[in-house]
Amino acid sequence: MISKHSVRIILVVLSVVVMAGGGLLVKAQLIPKSFGLYGSYRADAIEEEAQKVVRHGTNKSCFECHPYEAKIHLQGDHKTISCEFCHSTYADHVSNGKRTAALPVKKGEEITTLCLRCHNTEIKARSTIVIKTVGMPDHLKQQNVKLTHTCNQCHHVHAPLKYINEAKKITGLMEEKP
Amino acid sequence: MKIDKRDFIKKVLSGAISGSLFLVFPLDTTGIEFQNGISPSDANVKLPEEIPEIRARQYDIHKQNFAFIVDITRCIGCGSCCVADKREYNVPDGNYRTWVERYIKDFDDQVYVDCPNGGLDGYQKPRTDIPLNARDTFFVPKLCNMCREAPCVQVCPVGATFTSPDGFILMDSDRCVGCAYCIQACPYSARFLNPITKTAEKCTWCYHRVRKGLLPACVEVCPTGARKFGSLNDENSEVYKILKGPGVLTVLKQSMGTLPTLYYMGQRLEVV
Repeated sequence: MISKHSVRIILVVLSVVVMAGGGLLVKAQLIPKSFGLYGSYRADAIEEEAQKVVRHGTNKSCFECHPYEAKIHLQGDHKTISCEFCHSTYADHVSNGKRTAALPVKKGEEITTLCLRCHNTEIKARSTIVIKTVGMPDHLKQQNVKLTHTCNQCHHVHAPLKYINEAKKITGLMEEKP
Repeated sequence: MKIDKRDFIKKVLSGAISGSLFLVFPLDTTGIEFQNGISPSDANVKLPEEIPEIRARQYDIHKQNFAFIVDITRCIGCGSCCVADKREYNVPDGNYRTWVERYIKDFDDQVYVDCPNGGLDGYQKPRTDIPLNARDTFFVPKLCNMCREAPCVQVCPVGATFTSPDGFILMDSDRCVGCAYCIQACPYSARFLNPITKTAEKCTWCYHRVRKGLLPACVEVCPTGARKFGSLNDENSEVYKILKGPGVLTVLKQSMGTLPTLYYMGQRLEVV
């Protein structure tokens, strides 16, 4: 027959085992997989971040289907400008290699606003080495055109000096204006 | 309808429990945001590799070394980067993963800084609310500094933000509890609490693009080359050449000891 004292000791040991085991089980349940592989965080989160879908393509992905625009764009001074900045994201236009929706094309006053985002002289912070700027409406007055003209009436938006250089060639007026 | 007391209580209880489970496990809203994207496994989509050697080899997470350099002498404040960033991540209005600040310094050494809508709409108008004797004006693009000693990682109580072995400070939005300690800790204000997911969010230098061999979206669209990104393992990359060269590179808030890996060229002392 087991003494009363032994029963108590056995009970204490048993309850410690049960509680510790339960604690370990709960801990194993609560700590996510891959936690602690590289540090105190879930290492799988790195892969999840890496698997996020890409929404912006590159200019080359646009040129795949738009060779005509590509030819003009790559010859002009605007060749470093991203297609997607003016025309919106690649992913909104193409899905699984198929066209899903049309992208907006800027028109009229919108174009002038877009041009002046970079080419406005009034914003003094622009280095002349990086970009040519103009003041509006002074530029229109200097060029003797109506004040209602939008930029794209003289400048091709993809290659800004295209028409101007062509016109100079035809008229023989080759001297550069500062 | 005949129903006894026992059945009635059972039904009410099970309804209440299953209802409360919806409160505990909210519907996954993060998935919806990224539905409309280019799938990385899609063979039809042609995305040329922009960071050499990423796709050719198995990505060894312990051997990567990337650098980001911002050349503020080339920034024209067009806001292309801000627009691209918003579109890449569908960032909710009023929050910015990256933004462009305008600094104006006058001859009395007063500094005026503004940043309307994070530079998303560009800078169309000059400032008229300040004296006209400006001597130096410039734009400063800001983004995550990817500190080597990141304060945001240190304060996170649940391990939801961390420095990955390849040097990126990333977010685990599954673990984030939205306590916003990291937002207070970041000396560069690069973090915000996403009002939709209620978790902290930050610039990741487009980790998902980098791993696919693409440049970060903001670097991709920058028309003047003010933002530069590349691998330091590649000796032909622009960032390697700049970091190896004699040019002056600075970091923001150096005195805080955060050791950023985002470098600035042409930075003025006044910029914080």
